[in-house]
Amino acid sequence: MSSETTAADPLRLLRGAIGRPIGPPSVAPDPVNQPMIRHWAAALEDHNPIYTDAAAAVASRFGEIVAPPMMLQTWTMPTPTITGIGDRGGSPVATTRNPLAVLDEAGFVGTLATNSEVEVERYLCLGEMVTATTVLESVSDVKQTRAGRGHFVTWVTTWRDARDEIVGRQTFRMLKFKPYGGSTP
Amino acid sequence: MKTLDWHTIRVDDALPPLRIEVTATVIVAGAIATRDFMPVHHDRTYANTQGAPEIFMNIMTDNGYVSRFLTDWAGPDAMVKKIAIRLGVPAFAGSRLEYTGSVTGKSEGAGEGLVEVAFRASNDLGDHVSGTAVLGLPLARGGT
Repeated sequence: MSSETTAADPLRLLRGAIGRPIGPPSVAPDPVNQPMIRHWAAALEDHNPIYTDAAAAVASRFGEIVAPPMMLQTWTMPTPTITGIGDRGGSPVATTRNPLAVLDEAGFVGTLATNSEVEVERYLCLGEMVTATTVLESVSDVKQTRAGRGHFVTWVTTWRDARDEIVGRQTFRMLKFKPYGGSTP
Repeated sequence: MKTLDWHTIRVDDALPPLRIEVTATVIVAGAIATRDFMPVHHDRTYANTQGAPEIFMNIMTDNGYVSRFLTDWAGPDAMVKKIAIRLGVPAFAGSRLEYTGSVTGKSEGAGEGLVEVAFRASNDLGDHVSGTAVLGLPLARGGT
């Protein structure tokens, strides 16, 4: 079981990072704003009036225009560098250090997102600035899955407002696996 | 759009189904509106190099359509408190997603009426997303 032996050290390395933030906090490049909300509502054809209709929003329980709750992650997405995006493996920005590189180097090169759980504390209003911090929560032992043998990796991202109060969080789980036949499905 | 009266919602109530024709435009519009520029969500040639036959929907758009499916039913005063999804088969360009769901639980908490919903969005390959959600509704009768 040489592969298990070689995977043990990277696993210990990765588990050493559990509970610590992955990189510095992501600060939203722009405050919560009506143009991006209108763009989102049009793209998803979501006609909920609290997102774009000021009069309806004022009459609602929210009392003013609010951002769609599932835009939470959108606010802190990095501004992309379009040139070279394919050469960077699809990463919108040049990444400094991927904590999962140790798993890739151990042969777990496949990536499959498996679960997302978004919890919303409150809806965001126009003008608010949010910041996201991502912490590695857990790395499973090797599991046999339909995709291949792999580790389930779980992160928790927490978004905070300008007063440092939590507005929402997302638990995100992915499988890092060794593809059968050496190709990624 | 009217908000449902929490008192009249019953466990096992079915949500009105939502059908999305997943065109390339739908995928690209969702990806860019959520600021997800990963090429697998807008560039078919690139998607092919990743082993995918077509571009496919990104996860932020998945969550967005689930929240729309929920609030199209519950109304503008419903607050989405939680959406938990298991990710299944991809939603490729040229496919169709059918969203179905039903109420699985009700409770009162912190001045709100809570509603739990179980849902899935399926296409010809199987379940694309499936999961559970929690909505909060105002308890006072005769609201907006």
